[in-house]
Amino acid sequence: MAYYQNIFTQVQVRPRVPEHGIPISADARVGKPFNSYLFGLIGNGQVGPIYGGYLGALSLACGLIAFEIIGLNMWASVNWDPVQFVRQLPWLALEPPLPKHGLKVLPPLNEGGWWLIAGFFLTVSILLWWLRLYRRARALGLGTHVPWAFASAIWLYLVLGFIRPLMMGSWSEAVPFGIFPHLDWTAAFSLRYGNLFYNPFHMLSIVFLYGSTLLFAMHGGTILACSRYGAEREIDQIVDRGTATERAALFWRWTMGFNATMESVHRWAWWFAVLTTLTGGIGILLTGTVVDNWYLWAVKHGVAPAYPEVFGPIQDPLKLPLKATGATP
Amino acid sequence: MKTIGVIVSGVVALFLTIAQFGTAGWTRPPMVNQQHGFRGTGMDIIQTRAGAAEIKAANLAPTPADPVEAGTDKAGAVYENVKVLQDLPVEEFNRLMVSMTEWVSPQQGCTYCHNTENMADDSLYQKRVARRMLQMTQHINTAWKEKHVGEAGVTCYTCHRGNRVPAQIWFDAPSPTRGFIARNNGQNLATPSTGLASLPYTYLQDFLAKPEADQGAIRVNATTALPGSPGKPIQSAERTFALMIHMSESLGVNCTYCHNTRAVAEWSQSTPQRTLAWHGIRMVRDLNADYLTPLTGVFPANRLGPKGDAPKLNCATCHNGQSKPMGGAHVVEPYPELAVAPATTSGPQGVPVPAAQ
Amino acid sequence: MAMLSFERKYRVRGGTLLGGDLFDFWVGPFYVGFFGVTTLFFSVLGTALILYGAAIGPTWNIWQINIAPPDLKYGLALAPLKEGGLWQIITICAIGAFASWALREVEICRKLGIGYHVPFAFSVAIFAYVVLVVVRPLLMGAWGYGFPYGILSHLDWVSNTGYQYLHFHYNPAHMLAVTFFFTTTFALALHGSLILSSTNPPKDDDVVKTPEHEDTFFRDTIGYSIGTLGIHRLGLFLALSAGFWSAVCIVISGPFWTRGWPEWWGWWLNLPVWR
Repeated sequence: MAYYQNIFTQVQVRPRVPEHGIPISADARVGKPFNSYLFGLIGNGQVGPIYGGYLGALSLACGLIAFEIIGLNMWASVNWDPVQFVRQLPWLALEPPLPKHGLKVLPPLNEGGWWLIAGFFLTVSILLWWLRLYRRARALGLGTHVPWAFASAIWLYLVLGFIRPLMMGSWSEAVPFGIFPHLDWTAAFSLRYGNLFYNPFHMLSIVFLYGSTLLFAMHGGTILACSRYGAEREIDQIVDRGTATERAALFWRWTMGFNATMESVHRWAWWFAVLTTLTGGIGILLTGTVVDNWYLWAVKHGVAPAYPEVFGPIQDPLKLPLKATGATP
Repeated sequence: MKTIGVIVSGVVALFLTIAQFGTAGWTRPPMVNQQHGFRGTGMDIIQTRAGAAEIKAANLAPTPADPVEAGTDKAGAVYENVKVLQDLPVEEFNRLMVSMTEWVSPQQGCTYCHNTENMADDSLYQKRVARRMLQMTQHINTAWKEKHVGEAGVTCYTCHRGNRVPAQIWFDAPSPTRGFIARNNGQNLATPSTGLASLPYTYLQDFLAKPEADQGAIRVNATTALPGSPGKPIQSAERTFALMIHMSESLGVNCTYCHNTRAVAEWSQSTPQRTLAWHGIRMVRDLNADYLTPLTGVFPANRLGPKGDAPKLNCATCHNGQSKPMGGAHVVEPYPELAVAPATTSGPQGVPVPAAQ
Repeated sequence: MAMLSFERKYRVRGGTLLGGDLFDFWVGPFYVGFFGVTTLFFSVLGTALILYGAAIGPTWNIWQINIAPPDLKYGLALAPLKEGGLWQIITICAIGAFASWALREVEICRKLGIGYHVPFAFSVAIFAYVVLVVVRPLLMGAWGYGFPYGILSHLDWVSNTGYQYLHFHYNPAHMLAVTFFFTTTFALALHGSLILSSTNPPKDDDVVKTPEHEDTFFRDTIGYSIGTLGIHRLGLFLALSAGFWSAVCIVISGPFWTRGWPEWWGWWLNLPVWR
């Protein structure tokens, strides 16, 4: 019977002796490896070890500080009621400073000061993590593609919370930390700037987001379909093409007249994923700084469709002659 | 240990799933098709047939009192201390009083407002409030007829619905409790007033309490593609969004009832209802500022809000989940005395209120 | 003719689902098959109808062309061609073309002796599309609830349909779908990066690295490496979940939920443990 790879495996992949990683000069790896049944359902069962190192430790510490500041502020906003904290958790937030504080470095703690401190520590944490990824890649003799892809996500994060507020001249433009509140911010941002759907960089970002998902479905599906020929050994297949690659390539060639190679499909993947946040960040950065109303911008450039009028002409009451308007009759 | 953890989380997940399916209030087809814009724009009002029928049943207009043969005696001449409806024939006056009782205090009857020993006595605050509310009703039916209420008009029942205090009223939101750090921008709490979004909950006092000096306070969009003068912060957009959610939920409609949301600010792409709503906002401000807030001193403390403010009205007070209150029934027609301009504009306790301008 | 160096030995007969040997041939790089013919039929007809719709419409501006579904008043009936009928036929063509394409993929899989993962994945996308333009309109009772075919007009539909529920971000299935989209993209970035970094090492250490290096990189940085096969399982699962929950999030909006989505969360606030 043909051996068939699906989402879950029946076979748990567990090394007899835990793999300790490629021995290199800086291999201060900590933790005793163990096998996880849950992880083994979809991939390797082995968890750990992990590389220690001061960058990672510092990054985690900073991340924890930011997490604590945000969580304690949320808890304080329900007057330290533990039940309400859990109940209302998705609604709670740590809001950026009020508009009146502009770019003040440290406004009063309860008027956005905590937000700035939390943002500082979170940013430091993220940047230290980037350095950790970079140094590990170098230490293992790998290319630095992972950290540079991560940098694209950091770009979007920095645009949202730092660069755009700087350019707008107010921290209040930044995103609050909170589950529902950041969704409210997103909706309000689109409403304030005349519909983000008309922002061409938002369009591009969505295209790359959906494109990435499409690509991973295509690529994941192809590799799984050809796994009976060893397609998952991608590095081997890249340097020494086997029948798995040939079948994978021909599948797409016969389907859509074009195929990537085992290596180039990963370049497509990398660029699609990286461009998602790259173009997204550009779109956010331009909003409010360069374009104030994306709908009107689209009208100006002949992009927005016109619909037949269903109701008679509706006019802004404020633009009607004075006699007919007025707040009260 | 591990097994217990798995079982506990499994049970919690199962419980939450059941609770979600059972108590969230899911609906099911068939639906009512109500298109509100060009085909394919997605401008539709979404209701199930059952939901629409339920709302309709919950908003029936009361049967008007039987007409009476009007005599020549005026209420002002027959009764003492009649200040609003002096010129009404006494039979009509009595008919209206009976109707008001049914509309406002069907359980308590006349005694809710009147000292039955002496009907002319003004000692009960309810009577003083009712007098002012009569003037407000007349004001709505005349001054706001063309712009908002139309031929349907309003009676006491439009808001009261058989309750002494209308169900849908609002007070100023209490300040956040003081603590170590008690600032939440007046938002981010689970409150029904924002339709359970974490949007700012202070929008009612910001937008509906009094006539705004800035007519464009609610507007947040730039009117040009490129930045000109400094625009409004995102926090303003959130407040406006909260108000719009309030208006939608009050009317049982959604944003597309008034807007083509691809360009919410564009009047040329909006529906006629947006103009009505625009005037409705002005009407609510007018009524809150001229009729309800001045009653603050008349109400006893238990009728005031946590900040000591008078109960105020908003869109839901009349609309109660319908785009036209009571299905658009012409409730004021059987009561023409409520559709005349108030004879006097004096406020409670005889304090003159500046005429609306 | 347009064949890769190794291609000839893979071009064998058989594996077809329908039509036997009749359509078992290639045109250039494309495999035809019975479903290639039906794909062609539906896509040519559909495209022609879109062009016709554009021609009778007010504009040839690519951004503004709009083929709108019928008015709601037509319910589930056929509408006049110029008032949404075109949209209905184009929808049939689209579904026909998509389904044919998926079945053609199945034939190609059979020919190559590989699993059906790709056509299965594609059928999840087709499912999402069918939910959007068939299932939901059926449940709502009018074809007019489908989205219009136009680059910007479909965005306007998304905007208005979202605001029908006041604040669509609060739709729990939408939250899941968006999370899956972001996670898929994140995982794709990591996977693509890792393969590229192993096969394109820095110049000073110009030796292609091994899957052991890949595992080591992720164990070193986050303590876990899913492995070469696992990442593709994960990627496919995440991508399909994104599509599946997208379909769920729209089909529940309207037929099963008519109010603002923020209000849905009332059940959480009203749990008996803390109500």
